[in-house]
Amino acid sequence: MRINDLLLGALMALLGAITVWASRDFPSMPRQEYGAGTFPTIVGVMLVILGGVLALRGWRQQGALFAWQSPVAIKHVLLCVCAVVMAIVGYVQLVPILGFPIVSLVMLTALIGWLSAGRWLLAVSTALIATLLIWLTFAELLLVPLSLGILEEVVY
Amino acid sequence: MMDLQAALGMVFDWQVLLTIVAASMFGLFIGAIPGLTATMATALLVPLTFFMDPLPAIAAIVSATAMAIVAGDIPGALLRIPGTPASAAYTDEAWRMGREGRIGQALGVNLVCSVIGGVIGVAILAFFAPLVADFAIQFTSDEYFWLALLGLSCAVLVSGSDPLKGAISMLLGLLISMVGMSSVSGQMRFIFGIPELLSGISILPVLIGLFAIAELLRRLPEVGKLNLPAAPTVRRPFEGVGRITWRYKGGVARSGVLGTLIGALPGAGADIASWICYALARKLSRTPEKFGTGHPEGLVSASSANNAALSGAYIPALVFGIPGDTITAIIIGVLMMKGITPGPDVFTTDTVLVYAIFIVFLLANLLLLPLGLLAIRGARHILAVPAAMLYPLILLFCIVGAYATNNSMLDVVIMLILGLLAWLLAENEFPIGPMILAVILGPILEGNFLRSMIKANGDVLMLVDRPIAATLGTLAILVWVAIIVSTLWSMRRTSQATAPQHNNN
Repeated sequence: MRINDLLLGALMALLGAITVWASRDFPSMPRQEYGAGTFPTIVGVMLVILGGVLALRGWRQQGALFAWQSPVAIKHVLLCVCAVVMAIVGYVQLVPILGFPIVSLVMLTALIGWLSAGRWLLAVSTALIATLLIWLTFAELLLVPLSLGILEEVVY
Repeated sequence: MMDLQAALGMVFDWQVLLTIVAASMFGLFIGAIPGLTATMATALLVPLTFFMDPLPAIAAIVSATAMAIVAGDIPGALLRIPGTPASAAYTDEAWRMGREGRIGQALGVNLVCSVIGGVIGVAILAFFAPLVADFAIQFTSDEYFWLALLGLSCAVLVSGSDPLKGAISMLLGLLISMVGMSSVSGQMRFIFGIPELLSGISILPVLIGLFAIAELLRRLPEVGKLNLPAAPTVRRPFEGVGRITWRYKGGVARSGVLGTLIGALPGAGADIASWICYALARKLSRTPEKFGTGHPEGLVSASSANNAALSGAYIPALVFGIPGDTITAIIIGVLMMKGITPGPDVFTTDTVLVYAIFIVFLLANLLLLPLGLLAIRGARHILAVPAAMLYPLILLFCIVGAYATNNSMLDVVIMLILGLLAWLLAENEFPIGPMILAVILGPILEGNFLRSMIKANGDVLMLVDRPIAATLGTLAILVWVAIIVSTLWSMRRTSQATAPQHNNN
């Protein structure tokens, strides 16, 4: 997805301006002008300048604001991005409630089944093995507290 | 001598050896799959290394990356799709050799030259790193400030065709590194009221987001759309390999040394080394017209160079703590998580560890030969793993890996946000390398600057008072001049290119 440099540059300059504004109150070190605010301010100012140059360059090139060049259709790409975002957000939200094993199984099965265009047997079996392996490696071997969620009552 | 013995004892421990073999196999698998890079292999390994001792952690990353770079040659030769960007320079050449029925030879040459290049790189690393460290031991915060700035500047300069976008990418990385409590003044910055951010954004979710999630987002839409052709079987690898390598021994040696040096430059890694050495081999060749027609000469040079560069990048990383490429940036992040700050002091306080790292390097490069052969034999099976199955597994692994270091869901969210950001930026031709270098170097840059200012009572000119600092400072400023000139130059060129079109309208 090509976004015109004009927009990207303006966005970067805005980010820089916000950074400068947000670091205005950081105190400097005793008896000198440098301190916690020095670097954020320098970085912010540079972002404003470089973002401005980028925007200017984009404006002079006069391209389209958005352009699509990939051989894959934009709808499909956005669908894939949404799938990844939903999978991660779903994981963050649901694991504390449902537990890692259930979420991992459902997520892997759904994603593999969808991407392989309906090879559900492959999806379910891969999901089962992968969930088991990750559980054994991270929860049992490395002692990462992966949540059991509602399974806790079943197991204990 | 005692140190060397102790180091050997450290390396030849079954846990370390097992880690090396397992990580090599992992790197081999990731490298052989088109689209999955050596950096991604490292990013995926890091959550596991978090739970290891420093030596096995480094061993895992070193062996996985060396193997991934070599395995990246395989789909290049078989399918004309480079497995990693470091193989892109000679993919066509290797593929053409394959079409002439010399596929085994092409891959054999790749493998043998990679091993030789890797060993040359390790030798240079082991010889020079301690010498440079001896010299660097007298560095103060002034020199480190300039070194960090020089590292960042070079990373921007070599990051791609557009230094302006490289510089913006670097600034974004610096912003990320400033979140949390300032290490010098203790001031809280940009924590958005989230107490977990007080200790800063931890490096792991950043790495996984920038290099694994962003890559996943880029590759996922291609699943099912682009069908890989079935890979041909490789017959008789190594046939005539010894003869070819011997014939172009000068090229191998030259590329090994040059590759190491290029790797040692901040910002330039294995891919740039292999392009430059391929081009140089062509220039110096007696038969330049044969290049691009399935001629092994360029192959020999470039595949020595990319593995040598991998070792070269560790020279600034180990000696100064200044990463030479994205992979060493990750290594420095890992070492810092373990409480070891790479720098010249490590060479005196932790000599055994340094020796052990060199031995690991040598071992990993020698292991390339048997494991690489295995990979060439098994390439058909690796390439047959359906992407539809692989990518969801990588996604889950990323999530669990990001969560595992701090047991924090916030890290998973940070990984997602940075992954989306890196994907969007990469789609618009912003290089991601300068960003990760800035995340690592940001605190070094700022901390050393503020320490220098405390010492100098706020007098900025004291930063160039010492001769080495002044030299480094001049270099850094020269690099910035080069960046500005090349940006203006490319702007002028594009405006000249678009001007005739406007006239036609």
